[in-house]
Amino acid sequence: MSSSIDTEPRLAAAALWVSTAARLVLGGVFLVAGGLKVIDPQSSVAAVRAYRLLPTSVANLVGWGQPFAEIALGLLLLAGVATRIVAATAAVLLIVFIAAVVSAAVRGLSIDCGCFGGGGDVAPGQTTYGLEIVRDVGLLLLAGWLIWQPRSRFSLDRLTAGHVTEASR
Amino acid sequence: MSSAKNVGGAKKVSSPTNMNARDRARLAAEQAAARKRDRRILLTMIIAFVVIVVAGGIAFQAWRTSREPSSVSSASASASPVTITNGRPIPLGSAEAPVTITLYEDFHCPHCAEFEEQFGSTITQAQEAGTARVELYPMAFIDEGSLTAANAMACAAEAGFGQAYYLGLFANHTLQWSDPQLIDLATKVGGSPSEAFRTCVTRRAHADWVTSVNAAADTNGVDQTPTMLINGTEVDIATLTPEALQTRINNAAQK
Repeated sequence: MSSSIDTEPRLAAAALWVSTAARLVLGGVFLVAGGLKVIDPQSSVAAVRAYRLLPTSVANLVGWGQPFAEIALGLLLLAGVATRIVAATAAVLLIVFIAAVVSAAVRGLSIDCGCFGGGGDVAPGQTTYGLEIVRDVGLLLLAGWLIWQPRSRFSLDRLTAGHVTEASR
Repeated sequence: MSSAKNVGGAKKVSSPTNMNARDRARLAAEQAAARKRDRRILLTMIIAFVVIVVAGGIAFQAWRTSREPSSVSSASASASPVTITNGRPIPLGSAEAPVTITLYEDFHCPHCAEFEEQFGSTITQAQEAGTARVELYPMAFIDEGSLTAANAMACAAEAGFGQAYYLGLFANHTLQWSDPQLIDLATKVGGSPSEAFRTCVTRRAHADWVTSVNAAADTNGVDQTPTMLINGTEVDIATLTPEALQTRINNAAQK
């Protein structure tokens, strides 16, 4: 916990804008990722199964439910509701995603992460685990920033007066 | 939680200077309780929102994948029964057609469904005009439904309604392809779910054949679906338009 906010007003203003951008980017990515997966429940389930981590019945539920969870989180982030709590939830989700991709890489599976729809097995040599992990880590950093600096412009947190936001600090 | 970072307006409003220490303390305690309550309400609302969206979503997808297949207008190509041979694709269309379109598709691959949506009618027209015939390799690498659908596709071709069944499978590609759905689809596309067809579907009569065409695809160097070849030459689908496909079919027919 640094003290950037209470020292320099200009830094604090900059942090507000950084948080705004982080919130919109993270929320947009979650919304798009969920939306692309919702379209095709079969391939979403297939993408989950390709990780070979969950039994079939659980993979079905995750394949069907996870895209909607992503959409819900994306909407909450874009709206800027309880930003810190929602960002923390998104961070947990991203850590699970990263762990799943790392485990697939370590076990030598040849799969597409299915992060933005699609997914499933791909030919050996067509995997892009490095890129997928870097992207998710980047998103995790955005989520981490929002946990640290949840206040931002154009957010419902701001509209619903100071005290709710403050309470979530 | 440090109050030094508190730059919001909440605190300032509530500490007029003429209050004594006890009043201020009580007011602060009340405000803290109010904040806690607000926070709990907000958190409850958020959790409820996410739970409702996710549970509703799961229910929606469960319905989408287990509902009955919808009917499609029946196609006429390949009305005659075909023979299923291990390692060989399913022929759909006239054997005398000058152009052979080879398709490697998984009935549960989303890009294959997109491909069908974009180019299906062009290919079907060429089949019906007797210009082209399709050699279909139904792949089964996505999930269990890919296999059951590929098997049922072979059953339908054997029974003589392969072309219509093929279109029906892609028109309903979000279904999970349970046996009842696959049998129901036969009726929906104007075929007849005879006893032989039912048994063929439920017993997975062509499961070995599905394995054999997947092995054949592997041997042919096909590592993604959809893959299309026109008279043996692979076509780059990513840059293809229906008009360009039409031109290529016409050119191939004139050679």
